[in-house]
Amino acid sequence: MSQSTRTTRGFIQGLALLWGSALIPPASGMDFSLGGFGTLGAARTSDGSAEIVRDLSQPHGVTERWSLDTDSVLGIQANLGFSPELQAVIQAVSRHHYDGTYEPEISWAFLGFTPTPAWTFRAGRLGTEFYMLSDSRLVGYSYTTVRPPVDYYGTLPFNYVDGLDVAAARPLAGGLLKGKLYAGLSREQSPWEDRQFNMSGSLLVGGYLDYLKGPWQVRLGHARVQFDNELPIDDFYSLLPAATANELRVKDHWSHFNSFGIVYDEGPLQTQLMLSKTFAEHATFEDTWAGYFILGYRVQDWTPFVGLSAAKSSPKDLNNPIPGYTDAYQAYFRTDQRTLFLGARWDFRENMALKAQVDIIRGSPDSTFLYRWETSEWDGSMNLFSLSLDFVF
Amino acid sequence: MKTRHGLRRLLIITLLLGLGGARADGALVVVMSGASGVDSLTREEVINIFLGRFRQLPSGQAALPVDQPEDPALLADFYQRLVNKKPAEIRAYWSRLVFSGKTAPPRQAKSHEEGLKWLSDNPGAVGYMRSDARPSQLKVVFTLGP
Repeated sequence: MSQSTRTTRGFIQGLALLWGSALIPPASGMDFSLGGFGTLGAARTSDGSAEIVRDLSQPHGVTERWSLDTDSVLGIQANLGFSPELQAVIQAVSRHHYDGTYEPEISWAFLGFTPTPAWTFRAGRLGTEFYMLSDSRLVGYSYTTVRPPVDYYGTLPFNYVDGLDVAAARPLAGGLLKGKLYAGLSREQSPWEDRQFNMSGSLLVGGYLDYLKGPWQVRLGHARVQFDNELPIDDFYSLLPAATANELRVKDHWSHFNSFGIVYDEGPLQTQLMLSKTFAEHATFEDTWAGYFILGYRVQDWTPFVGLSAAKSSPKDLNNPIPGYTDAYQAYFRTDQRTLFLGARWDFRENMALKAQVDIIRGSPDSTFLYRWETSEWDGSMNLFSLSLDFVF
Repeated sequence: MKTRHGLRRLLIITLLLGLGGARADGALVVVMSGASGVDSLTREEVINIFLGRFRQLPSGQAALPVDQPEDPALLADFYQRLVNKKPAEIRAYWSRLVFSGKTAPPRQAKSHEEGLKWLSDNPGAVGYMRSDARPSQLKVVFTLGP
């Protein structure tokens, strides 16, 4: 069976399953709703020497030819309310993911319990909220740009975990203080050239504190992940002295993600500033600073926007380096680039928006972590052109 | 001929704008049932309730907001005055919360009557309407001036 037939069949089976379960009439007294979201997105770059990805769960990125793969997505969600306090949510998403297909996957499936307006408990499959928008980054209709800034969100291949979270809120000083803690196991994969990095079983834990007042929102967040598997490169590790290989192995080591964000959203003006610092307790994934700033201003149905994002990583010093090998290996995980992006969102009809965006990416030639299939021609810079139609239903 | 048509069109537009303006000039009131036990809400509390940030009333009970989509001009006017946002921005805001399994949007009343019934049946229900359309059994807990 060809890959495209398999893709189509998986997609149709997934949808049929979802619609089938949606058509079972819920017992009376329950609140049932069905909705969805999607993006038809096309993108191309000015440079054929590397393919930039939307995030590291994608095996291919944007090329010099227009393609729908990077940003297109379809999601369907069913909400079932058993009582005002108890509800179930299931969401399936089809998009270009780790194995190069559009096979649908269950992105959310949880039971939520809200005993009081101040407390919410959820258990099941939950989107990860590493950074402020990361649990809704597939919902293009919900944000202004074509995609969340790749320099900032692109290094996160985690979309969901099987686990639980608890959220609380309380008024404070005329505003609102909110917090959340979560923990769970990843069930995802991240492609690594023609191999897969199996993240399944990796433990993710984290939390954040939000303060909201008037148009302001400030967030401090921390998350960490402990990988349960090695990268699929044992053949490389086995060539190294054990002491060197052990410094590079990722299994059972933690990676930490600290983040800070400020949103100022007043009427037609929307601004976001986010900063993050990641560091790892192994020498493979590099310690990284990343940040972005977006400014958008709505005029009638149009929201032009401009933004800047950047990411810069640096390698850990090894106690047992093998010059020429370990430094080349560490460079695989390097990010050193800045992006100026501008574009516009047009809310041309109810529940639909069209967007156009240009990303001007300038980086160093060894900035390769967010790209696939770089050639020796890669100089770290490219321009990215994107169009998208985002909708909800 | 052309000028006369143009003038007539201008006159019609002026009239329409004038009427629309007159309609939008009236105060909007945020209302609750007389049995709610709530005397007033602050703007921040109304925002928290309608944007799903925190749905607890000063009395401690849960707030149950209700929207009026059957009157799009009223809905647009309400969110414009409350947070200076267009309905499209409010929908974008809710799409983020709904599709990340968070709070649900306010209850969408299918008719003005259904909205009124919800408000009088539920002490925690919070709605909005033009001040001249308020039945006497509903209490004003916040006023949104023009």
